[in-house]
Amino acid sequence: MHCLIFGFGYMGKIRYHILRQHPAVHTITIVDPEADCSTVGIEGAVLRPGEPIPWGSCDAAFICTPNNVTADLCVEALRRCGRVFCEKPPGRHWEDFCKIAETAAATPAHTLMFGFNHRLHPSIQAAHALIGNGGLGDILYIKGTYGKSGGLKYRQSWRSHPEIAGGGILLDQGIHMLDLFHLFLWPLTVVDAVLVDTFWGTGLEDNAFVLLRSEQGVPAFLHSSATLWKHAFRLEIGCRNGYLTASGLLSQTGSYGREQLVIGKRQFEDEALALGNPREEIIHFDRDDSWENEVQEFIAAVTAGRPATHGTLEDARRVMQVIRDAYAMTEHAVAGRKD
Amino acid sequence: MRVIETSSTFPLSSVKPLEGLLRYRAYCLSATRNALKGAARRRERSAVSDRHLEPFGDVDGIAYLRCPETGSLFLADLPEPTVWARLLADVSRYRHSSEAFHTGLVQSRTDNVYAPKLEWIQDTLRLQGLEKPRILEAVTAPSHFTRLLQESGAFAEVLTEDEMDLRMGGRASQAEDPVHAAVLLESLDRVDDPAALLRAVTDRLAVGGVVFVTALVASGFDMAVLGLRNLYLYPPDRANCLTVRGLSMLLERSGLTLQEVSTPGVLDVEIVNAHLQRDPSLPLPAFERQLLGADRDTHEAFQAFLQQRGLSSFARIAARKR
Repeated sequence: MHCLIFGFGYMGKIRYHILRQHPAVHTITIVDPEADCSTVGIEGAVLRPGEPIPWGSCDAAFICTPNNVTADLCVEALRRCGRVFCEKPPGRHWEDFCKIAETAAATPAHTLMFGFNHRLHPSIQAAHALIGNGGLGDILYIKGTYGKSGGLKYRQSWRSHPEIAGGGILLDQGIHMLDLFHLFLWPLTVVDAVLVDTFWGTGLEDNAFVLLRSEQGVPAFLHSSATLWKHAFRLEIGCRNGYLTASGLLSQTGSYGREQLVIGKRQFEDEALALGNPREEIIHFDRDDSWENEVQEFIAAVTAGRPATHGTLEDARRVMQVIRDAYAMTEHAVAGRKD
Repeated sequence: MRVIETSSTFPLSSVKPLEGLLRYRAYCLSATRNALKGAARRRERSAVSDRHLEPFGDVDGIAYLRCPETGSLFLADLPEPTVWARLLADVSRYRHSSEAFHTGLVQSRTDNVYAPKLEWIQDTLRLQGLEKPRILEAVTAPSHFTRLLQESGAFAEVLTEDEMDLRMGGRASQAEDPVHAAVLLESLDRVDDPAALLRAVTDRLAVGGVVFVTALVASGFDMAVLGLRNLYLYPPDRANCLTVRGLSMLLERSGLTLQEVSTPGVLDVEIVNAHLQRDPSLPLPAFERQLLGADRDTHEAFQAFLQQRGLSSFARIAARKR
């Protein structure tokens, strides 16, 4: 396969290194005017300035660009190649997403997958296996916190420019947690949302509080933040027979802490000594194959000419609807801090 | 790969009280000496690394050797396999008789030892996507665990086979009828050739099948601190006391991929304390004495640390056949 990678930032580099290891991929072309051709490891892979994009030989395109060009590139890649892997978010807003969706609908036999790798994290997969018939029973509620500290260059990043990013921390990072909520409870609708720009003053929300409800009435609550001075990922799932808490993420920097899943089993009321303090097991994970498995699934879907099993257009639609509705509830006017 | 820790706690007295153990231990040592009176062979190489074993010391006059690469301990001399099989059957009968301490603790051992192991197996199978597998239990009969496996309803079939028969290549005809799970509760600690047993079990497993192993490990806190003075180290039950590294190597060399390597033990600190109470003159470094003299919160925090970092002496491993 010949793969094109549009954008060679953080995500483009991750995809490049995974594709290089994939046995079905023989050629990779990086399309990014800012990519340095002399960088060790990518010699010969970067499209030279002025050279046309080799759509004719392209078997699959990876869109790893800033949000403002994602939708247009995704649309073009669908039309010219038909096999597209697009990083989240699928555009800056609902209208961008709709452009992609309309093109996909008009493109027969396409393969389109979005990068929602958190579903494939080991703690999430283990949680998914234990819910329902896995022993913990039906879900009673979900609560998720996902946040970062922003950092020194936060204001300078394209993610902090409204016209480029389209949305703040909810669209950038909260979208992953919303996708996980949908994995466990879909479909969800927004009950209420509070979006505030409390610290960074970029005109985009740096904190989002979103209350949701599933069709069965199960509540879910998301706190997405760019002012958590300690990086945090924490997903709490209350079930009829116990509870799960996934926390930490096996990331490159390790800044989100050791990835683990706490499994607690509900103690019955006659077990007085354990009441309120049930026995817990904690699974610590030391390997995250989510990026690899995501690419593996996309390549397998392309090879077999079938839709992807996750990260589908429908998955993307669900989260973008929630984000659209959350923004609409605050009328796109992100409230600043009132001193 | 996963590491699992647990907040479950229970006292040493509810599962293997030190004072209660002594009589059973004496029986085991005496029976082992008798078994070694005939033609015994000396083990030369480590079952896990194939390196030449080094002298390590003795337990009541019975020599142990050490693997220089992994730190695993091995009983130095062994009789013929058939003699060893008879020895294991003998001590198993004694363990289930009214003379051993185990009989009075059947319920608490079921609650604290066997039920959590069954839960572990069931949860792991769910995580591996294996539903109602046929499971092979390798054991020297009788086994309390067999009934729990059967009554759980989690398995299509429970096959209980003698661990020494398996290790000696018996019941080979069943090789055409693979199982999808196998359980070895401390079997690798007591059979005379753990590598051969693991090979036999792996042969019976279908590709993708999971083997569950529990063991007392020499790399764990109480074993490492007490060494050969640890009264829980005795043959034939601990003819092999591997380290976590040794166990991992053994499984990987048998064509298995490690899925979980945990040491969810809860008794390390209490075991060392029990030894110290029994013999206050035990040669322990000042730091260990300070730790053991600390309050209960400190003990619990330290035990949790041992679990998190793979340093408790009770190990459990789940591995999948490649």
